[in-house]
Amino acid sequence: MLKLEGIAANYGKVQALRSVSLEVETGQIVTIIGANGAGKTTTFKTISGLVRPVAGRLEFEGHNLANLAPEKIVELGIIHVPEGRRLFPGLSVLDNLLLGATSRHKKNQKWRAEAAEDLEKVYKIFPALKLLAKRLSWTLSGGEQQMCAIGRGLMARPRLLMLDEPSLGLAPVLVQEVFRTIVEINRQGMTVLLNEQNARQALAIASRGYVLETGTMVLSGEARGLLNNEQIKRAYLGSAMKIKDPDLAEVVENSTRKIPTPGE
Amino acid sequence: MEEIIQLLVSGLAYGSIYALVALGFVLIYNAVGVVNFAQGEFVMVPSYIAVVFLNFWGLPFILAYLGTILVACLFGLLFQQVAYYPLRHRTYLPVIISTIGASIFLQNAALVVFGAEPKKPESIFRPGDTFEISGIFIVPQYVLILVVTLLLVAFQYYLFERTKLGKQLQATAQDKTTAQLMGIQVNHMIIFTFMYSAVLGAVAGILVSPLLLVSKTMGGGLALKAFSATIIGGFGSVPGAILGGLFLGIAEKMAARYISSAYEQAFAFIILIVVLLIKPEGLFGEKISEKA
Repeated sequence: MLKLEGIAANYGKVQALRSVSLEVETGQIVTIIGANGAGKTTTFKTISGLVRPVAGRLEFEGHNLANLAPEKIVELGIIHVPEGRRLFPGLSVLDNLLLGATSRHKKNQKWRAEAAEDLEKVYKIFPALKLLAKRLSWTLSGGEQQMCAIGRGLMARPRLLMLDEPSLGLAPVLVQEVFRTIVEINRQGMTVLLNEQNARQALAIASRGYVLETGTMVLSGEARGLLNNEQIKRAYLGSAMKIKDPDLAEVVENSTRKIPTPGE
Repeated sequence: MEEIIQLLVSGLAYGSIYALVALGFVLIYNAVGVVNFAQGEFVMVPSYIAVVFLNFWGLPFILAYLGTILVACLFGLLFQQVAYYPLRHRTYLPVIISTIGASIFLQNAALVVFGAEPKKPESIFRPGDTFEISGIFIVPQYVLILVVTLLLVAFQYYLFERTKLGKQLQATAQDKTTAQLMGIQVNHMIIFTFMYSAVLGAVAGILVSPLLLVSKTMGGGLALKAFSATIIGGFGSVPGAILGGLFLGIAEKMAARYISSAYEQAFAFIILIVVLLIKPEGLFGEKISEKA
């Protein structure tokens, strides 16, 4: 469905991506893991057209994305839910959600009816949003904002949903909630590309994983395989450190177990 | 009592003009993050166009005014394409300098085309016209200004709060990058904002030129007052621009009558300085704090 080959991208004179290759197939959850500054967000921005690649191939269902404007890429069905939620602070939750359906207005006369239908679906996934609909979005808590941001993404009826660090800055309980939601959305047929620093949980729900370091894909493979990869364990999963506190060890244990992987 | 009401009416009328120009400032600032120093020329250029239509071509009022607004739309579009668009990826400084350049160019172009002598446009009411309601003398042009401004603000409220386009404009103003990720055509929104801002200027110009006469410098003074109004109201805030403009208009007339008419033009800036000292975020500014 989505294919990147040897993508390189710059911010001015700084090279942010050297060579990024990845592939997402329909129906999968694919995750990119890596530290801060590894280029995860830049990879997303390159896919969604905010950053232009300077080298490499970028294809989505046979369309070359490399020179398309962001709004054209959205129309093809790729939705990028940005890092840090980025809701429109002065607009209500409802307005934020409806703006998510912008790309559907142009070609579709029935968008109003469809948007109402999609809104119900989003409220089903995030019941809290229905109660918050009239609130200005900046007044929401971090977790509520994340729900709204994902809901806004779903309003476009994307074929591919790209979530950039959806668990960032959320309380552990909410992190669980977010991951559970991603699995649920995926079960309903959505293809998901996920950027995460929370490598353990991301790999637990994904079918494929890619590891990004300083703008280069250094490792890729089945998510399950990566979870057991010694190199990754040391660098991202933190299991090289012995967890001495038994309570904490239990929390870490549970956090991997609680989340069902697709197909289980 | 009668006197105070008369002062209120004239204050509100001038305040409405400041408010319209201030709205133009704020909408462009919110859309592209730059203060448009040619905002005064958004008033001056359409005012001259109205003079051409009314005085030179002798068109009827309604046709001339509609034509002026149409030309203002095109002017806004052209301005956006020439003064803003080529610099859109640069920082705010080149854009500001470009708007200052455009302002100087337009003023001198007006001088070349129309000469230095101020033009008096044909107007619906004659300058001396007043009517009396229970001892209060009212200038009909002031009433016209108030009614038109009220209608325009109501229209704008409807546009921004009740339509799809308005929500997209607000989204663009609040977060351009994310607006793009929604599939909003940010460039179109910015073009529309410049066009609408020019229409606000045109309406202000049409309304005020029977009182001020049309000259190359008419916009500069208005723009300075309007800019003060945006700061007094709370910079970047739409309701702040409207309330700030009205407040400034009334305060100016009151101060001119009861303190000193010689300093009428200075009061706006005295008020500005006082507001900046006491309440720098503005009198009516709304605060949107951002959460992580």
